[in-house]
Amino acid sequence: MVAIYFGFILLVAYNKPLLGRLISPGLSLGVLFGAMVIVLSWILTWIYVRWANKHYDDAMQEHRPGSRQ
Amino acid sequence: MIPSQAAADQATRIGEPNAVALAFFFGFITITLGITYWAAKRTRTTEEFYAAGRTISAGQNGFALAGDYMSAASFLGIAGLVSTTGFDGLIYSTGWLVGWPVVLFLIAEPLRNLGKYTFADVVASRLKQAPVRIAAAIGTLATVTFYLIAQMVGAGGLIRLMFGLTYETAIMIVGAAMLAYVLFGGMIATTWVQIVKAVLLLGGAAVLALLVLSKFGFNPVRLFAAAAAQYGHDVLAPGRLVAKPLDAISLGMALMFGTAGLPHILMRFYTVPDAKAARTSVFYATGLIGFFYLMTFVLGFGAMVLVGPDVIRSVDAGGNMAAPLLAETLGGTPFLGFIAAVAFATILAVVAGLTLSGAAALSHDLWVNVARGGHATQTEQLRVARVATIVLAIVAVMLGITFKGQNVAYMVGLAFAIAASANFPALLLSIFWRRCTTAGVVASMVLGTAATLTLIYLSPTIQIDILKHESAPFPLRNPALITIPLSFAIAIVVSLLSANAGEQAGYARVEREMHTGH
Repeated sequence: MVAIYFGFILLVAYNKPLLGRLISPGLSLGVLFGAMVIVLSWILTWIYVRWANKHYDDAMQEHRPGSRQ
Repeated sequence: MIPSQAAADQATRIGEPNAVALAFFFGFITITLGITYWAAKRTRTTEEFYAAGRTISAGQNGFALAGDYMSAASFLGIAGLVSTTGFDGLIYSTGWLVGWPVVLFLIAEPLRNLGKYTFADVVASRLKQAPVRIAAAIGTLATVTFYLIAQMVGAGGLIRLMFGLTYETAIMIVGAAMLAYVLFGGMIATTWVQIVKAVLLLGGAAVLALLVLSKFGFNPVRLFAAAAAQYGHDVLAPGRLVAKPLDAISLGMALMFGTAGLPHILMRFYTVPDAKAARTSVFYATGLIGFFYLMTFVLGFGAMVLVGPDVIRSVDAGGNMAAPLLAETLGGTPFLGFIAAVAFATILAVVAGLTLSGAAALSHDLWVNVARGGHATQTEQLRVARVATIVLAIVAVMLGITFKGQNVAYMVGLAFAIAASANFPALLLSIFWRRCTTAGVVASMVLGTAATLTLIYLSPTIQIDILKHESAPFPLRNPALITIPLSFAIAIVVSLLSANAGEQAGYARVEREMHTGH
């Protein structure tokens, strides 16, 4: 996660033209990466919580279903 | 009455007393005071006052964490930044979210298993109580103070703009309502106020985002394209807000590691029954907060296209009124009133959470565990906690009035920098590093706070923007890039120099408790 975010921040810091490149009219790489950082954080937490709840708490009943949105 | 803005006055009714806003706001106050009355009857022990009796479910705590975290700075501030600068505002959106996986992976479970009410409980668990708690209270109170200033100043300005009240009256109202929640309802009332606020804020922002998207065929890309067509392709690329590379990295570090050192966030993990619930609540919170920050993309660019940066700046130079202006454009005065009331509720709830965590540091850490050596009756502990709450409420109101006109986002950045440099390294090392000693964490917390405050004072924001000097001795606007590694280095070096067999031996017990809770 740290790597993903700092990858993003380092691109912001040192490679502005790349993030400004347009994939399609209106969608720049920067905006897409920004959204992906948020979605990836969420997916990573989901994976970790799923794994931890199974791994640590075998005795516990079913873990909560994943999605809320 | 409000800053004269001929252009904006024709376009907006912001600043005039708004009947809908007042109705929603008094509705919110009535409901939350009702909750407080209900909670007050359930708040008899310190465990109930500080930790809601550990009865909050993972889902409820997820909403409450989101409520604590989504402050007015994120709702109004980010929407304003995106609407006036484009892409750069999104750095905040992502930065404020990625701190959550850090909290989850490193902090949430050990905190829940090792502590009672404050994060100092964890740091002090195998070290010497008094010095650790005093140092932790300094870090906590410094963080809470700057965060409180930001929220109070934001509240005063916001209410003045939206309801037409004077700044001082607005601050007093916030102080009084927050005092009522915390004083009588403790953590139970504070938690439910956060939940109500989180639902209102997410609901209001979602409706607003849907209204924006409906103008663009429900396709965000068409919205971004419209922004680029109107204001140039640059709005979709990094620009002047983070002109220097090191500034961007430093800000990123403060946002990312600051979350894991915010006392009012850490305290929420004590309200759930066990570590599993703590873990699951982070997952819910991350989902809710991530959803919210994705919406800020739409709200920010929506305000840029539909309202226009010039109009937004004419109402408030910092851009903080972007979201309310957007609401007025799309839903008329009633919707403006609703969003205004939501923004107010947002601030009120965050202030309550901050005050409670500050009161816990004063009463639980300083009074009960240092002054009384851990021996105090329930009655005495509760009385001290309530006195501390009143003191903090008065201080918050005075700070709000003193710092009138300060830049809100900057104050929040300051709070994050202190949290990341003073609290986070000590907490992390005390959990994961066997050889960490009392001297090490105390030096790290005290020098971390001092270094952060000093470097902020020497930064361009204070020296050039506020004191109007020619140049600043320290080049970065946010000191986290220097102070976080510095705090870690101090903790490690001092710990190695003051190696202590007894404290190392205690680590075995801590390690077991941290994983099992027993």
